Amino acid sequence: MKTATHLRLLHLDKRFGKRLVLKDIGLQLDAGEIILLCGPNGAGKSTLLRILGGLEKPERADIAIADDELRSWRHCRKRLLAETLYLHQHPYMFDGSVRYNLAYALPGKLDRQTRRERVDQALAWGGLEHLQDTAPKNLSGGERQRVSLARAWLRQPRILFLDEPTANLDQASRHLSLELLAPLKQTGMSMIIASHDAHHFAPLADRTLYLHERQLIGAQPIQDYYTASTEPDRSKRIRA
Amino acid sequence: MEQLSSAIGTALALLFSGNNDLWEIVGISFRVSFIAILAATPPALLAAFALAYLRFPGRRLLISINSTLLSVPAVVVGLTLYILLSRQGPLGEWKLLFTQTAMVLGQIALAFPILAAMAHSSLQAVDKRAWETARTLGASPLRALLTLMHEARFGLLAALLAAFGRIIAEVGASMMLGGNILHYTRNIPTAIALETSKGEFAQGIALGIVLLTLAFTLNALLQNFQGRGQPVT
Repeated sequence: MKTATHLRLLHLDKRFGKRLVLKDIGLQLDAGEIILLCGPNGAGKSTLLRILGGLEKPERADIAIADDELRSWRHCRKRLLAETLYLHQHPYMFDGSVRYNLAYALPGKLDRQTRRERVDQALAWGGLEHLQDTAPKNLSGGERQRVSLARAWLRQPRILFLDEPTANLDQASRHLSLELLAPLKQTGMSMIIASHDAHHFAPLADRTLYLHERQLIGAQPIQDYYTASTEPDRSKRIRA
Repeated sequence: MEQLSSAIGTALALLFSGNNDLWEIVGISFRVSFIAILAATPPALLAAFALAYLRFPGRRLLISINSTLLSVPAVVVGLTLYILLSRQGPLGEWKLLFTQTAMVLGQIALAFPILAAMAHSSLQAVDKRAWETARTLGASPLRALLTLMHEARFGLLAALLAAFGRIIAEVGASMMLGGNILHYTRNIPTAIALETSKGEFAQGIALGIVLLTLAFTLNALLQNFQGRGQPVT
C-alpha cells in the first residue's frame, strides 16, 4: 500500500547575503514519518526547518503539501503556516500563565467551555497540571519545552519541525520531553527533528538525513554517523 | 509675595467653586487632546510595527525622519498647518483654520512621532520569536500583531501617556491653529498664555494646577507601567 506523503520539497536554495547556505535541497516526508536532521553547527538545519515552517523566505523552493501540486514557496506559505508547526530551540512563551500559552494554540472559534476542556487535556497530556498558573519566567528549560510540545499536541499540525528540542536540557528534562514525542507520532503527525544529540532520537526516527556543505545527504542508518564517524556518503543525495 | 499668595488663593477658589469658564477650558483641552491621541494611535502603531518588523528600502531614512520630527517645535508644526489651512493655502477650502478640528490636526502631527518612536522601540524590544511563535501557532497577521502589542503593552502605554502629556500642554500649535477663541478653541495652555499677558494670574495658576496634577498623574502611571515592564529579579 502506498504511503501518503505529507511534504515534498525540490530545488531549495537559500542565501544569507552572498553566502549560499542551502543549495538545491530536496526531500520527501511521508505521513507519520520522523526524519532526524543532523549536521554541524551553521550547516543550515534551523534555516531549512524555518523555511519549511513558512517563517523564512528562500531564494527558491518548490513545495507540495499532502497531494498538492508542487508550487513555489511563496504560494505555499499560507498553507505551511496553517499546517505545520515550528518549535524554536528555546521556545517562546507569551506573557501570561501556562494555561494562557496553551489556549493560544487553539482555534479562536471554539467556545469557552470547550477551550477550557482542551487546555485541561493538554495540561494532563504534558504533565503540566501543577504549572497551569505559573508565569513563563518561572519555568525551567525542560518545562518550557513540554509546554511547547503540549501546544503542538493541541494544535495538531500535519508536520512538526523541532529545532534542537533537547539542547541544554538535563537528563531528566530531556527524558520527559522525549517521552512526549512518541504519542505525538502516534497521532499521525510527521516530524523533522534537527539535533546534535542524534542518539537520543534514534529510537524514534525512521531515517536520518545529514546536512553537509549546503546539501542534504544520507538516508543511511543513524549509527553510521555516530559510531564510525565517517564522512557522509555524498552519492546518496536525497531527491524527492 | 502677597500678590502671589492672593493669586493662588483666588486660583484655588476658582477651581473648587466650579467656575464654568475655567472648567469649560479644561473640557475643551481634554476633548481635543483625546480625539487627537485616538486618531494618531492606530497609524502610529502600524508605522512602528512596520519599522520594527518589516524590511523595505528607505526604512532607516523613515526612522531618521521620525526621530527628527520629535524635536520639531510645536509652533513650527502650527505654522506648517497654518499655511496649509489658511485661505490662500492648498487646504483653505476646507475652512478648518481656527476650529477644534485644526487643533486636533496639529496635535495629531505632534503626537504621531512620539507614539511611533516610542512604540517602535517597545516593539523592537519584543523577542522576534514572539511574532514567529504566534504565526506558527496559527495566528493571523492581525492576531499576531495584537499579540505583539500585548507583549509590549507597558512600553506602548508609556508611549501613549507621554504623547498625551506632550499635546495637552503644548501652546504653539493650538494658539496658531485654534486662535484662542473663548468657549470654542481656548484650551488650558492658550488660556494661561492669554491670562498671563493680561496680568491676570489667578485663572492661569488654576489652569496650571490642573496641568501639573495631570502631569503628575501621567508620570505616576508611567512609572508604574515602566516598573511593571522591568521586573526586579
